[in-house]
Amino acid sequence: MSSAISPRSGRRDQGPDRRCLVTGAAVGLVAAALPRLAAAEVAPDLAELVARVTEGAAPERGRITLDIPPLVENGNSVDTRIRVESPMTEADHVRWIHLIAEKNPFPDMARFILSPRAGRAEVATTLRLAQSQKVAAVAALSDGRFVMADANVVVTLSACIDGG
Amino acid sequence: MGRASRGRAPAAGLVLVAILLAPVQAEIKSGTEFLSPELQRQQADEARNPAFFWVEQGRELFSRKPTPDAQACITCHAEPQQSLRGTATRYPQVDAASGRLLNLEGRIEQCRVERQGQPPFGYETPELLSLTAYVASLSRGLPLDVRTDGPAKPFYEAGKTLFERRQGQLNLSCTQCHDGLVGQKLRGDTISQGVGTAFPAYRLEWNDVGSLHRRLRACSLGVRATQFDYGAPEYLALELYLAARAKGLPVETPGIRR
Amino acid sequence: MSFNARITMPAEARAGEIVEIKVLTRHPMDRGGQSDGKGGTVPRKILNRLTVTYAGEPVFRFDMHTGVSANPFVSFTTKAVATGDLLFEWREDGGATFTRTARLTVT
Repeated sequence: MSSAISPRSGRRDQGPDRRCLVTGAAVGLVAAALPRLAAAEVAPDLAELVARVTEGAAPERGRITLDIPPLVENGNSVDTRIRVESPMTEADHVRWIHLIAEKNPFPDMARFILSPRAGRAEVATTLRLAQSQKVAAVAALSDGRFVMADANVVVTLSACIDGG
Repeated sequence: MGRASRGRAPAAGLVLVAILLAPVQAEIKSGTEFLSPELQRQQADEARNPAFFWVEQGRELFSRKPTPDAQACITCHAEPQQSLRGTATRYPQVDAASGRLLNLEGRIEQCRVERQGQPPFGYETPELLSLTAYVASLSRGLPLDVRTDGPAKPFYEAGKTLFERRQGQLNLSCTQCHDGLVGQKLRGDTISQGVGTAFPAYRLEWNDVGSLHRRLRACSLGVRATQFDYGAPEYLALELYLAARAKGLPVETPGIRR
Repeated sequence: MSFNARITMPAEARAGEIVEIKVLTRHPMDRGGQSDGKGGTVPRKILNRLTVTYAGEPVFRFDMHTGVSANPFVSFTTKAVATGDLLFEWREDGGATFTRTARLTVT
């Protein structure tokens, strides 16, 4: 198993490099070829972050549910559940599910690595969101395809902060 | 002031009186009722509520000898599930020997120094928080029942005065928000009635378990008022007043708060 | 006690049944980067990986970064195949590891 979150997947501070331009072009081509897919709706920044974990492939919409509250009272712990419709057999299963927060200081949040022995592709965790933003879940399928779902989350600001 | 405005004054006065009286009659509700349904479920679920780690640590400390020749808490308080059930509902209380007002933290520290012969843990240390959370958790579900008469009366009065006194650069009293604006929003927070029945509690803001006094210090900071020390007489008196207001509400320690 | 874990799962399951495993962990998940008060910054110190094996076979892995909350919760599923131990191993920044086991009896 390779490392889920490589140093390369950290936030890019410089201008676009060649790899991003290539993946960006790939995303554009796929979006043009399959207009029913909603890839074009994704903000460029998020699309780039997604392309980085899919190595350029454009994920399809559908089959994956991202259950995260649209409004959270505190970004320190946000309940998140992800489900992928999959028989979870040797021939057809979810390999991993990756979570991205486009505006977190480090957008790659976590990755769940599954196997057919899971029986069901359903996982949950508690996330830390720095601010209101779009959160995406990308799942890698055993046939090499990817599916994704995203959701807008509003993180309200607490009034009762603690001085430490 | 013209005639017209003077003529309206009595009516305005009546409205003002109504506003001032109404909150006093309002039923006091637990802070849990101001949480989202998701957080309420998490609080009740031992598989989800991180504060139970502190309770677990407290249970271990309770049974462990601090030094080989010292006694463990459980030596005197055998079967704490029965012997200490309900204890937390009666704190803060006046210590008969010293005449001081003690909260649960204060009583545990007193036991540690006087009966176990150990140095105090210190307020807000993980050990004291854990023991307090454990002992309070033994009263989960039981109604708060502090005394406010007899020797406790002056402390109760002092706490009430502090609750009603305007303070800080914002010149706000506790009662202005926690009686007058209950249920309304303060940025992302919903204003509660300042009930401390879930403390020590896991606060999302802290990512940690903290005492009621830590929470009160955050309140003081919020209105730009003097932050008293942990365990200060001012906060102890306020804790008693808050507990008296919440009389009859069940102990919920260890709770989750925003 | 900076680390602790609470594993919630059924003690028994029928063969082939899918069981849900809930894991709550006590850990500050320190993102790092704050001032240490001496001119430097606090290094990151989080649990970066949870690996779960069931009767010796890997069944689940959770790679965590700073976007996972303090005192994190994670849940996943596994198919009951045979009576055996589930071994949970966490790896912390700096190399420390923590382990817990839970037994699943398959009927």
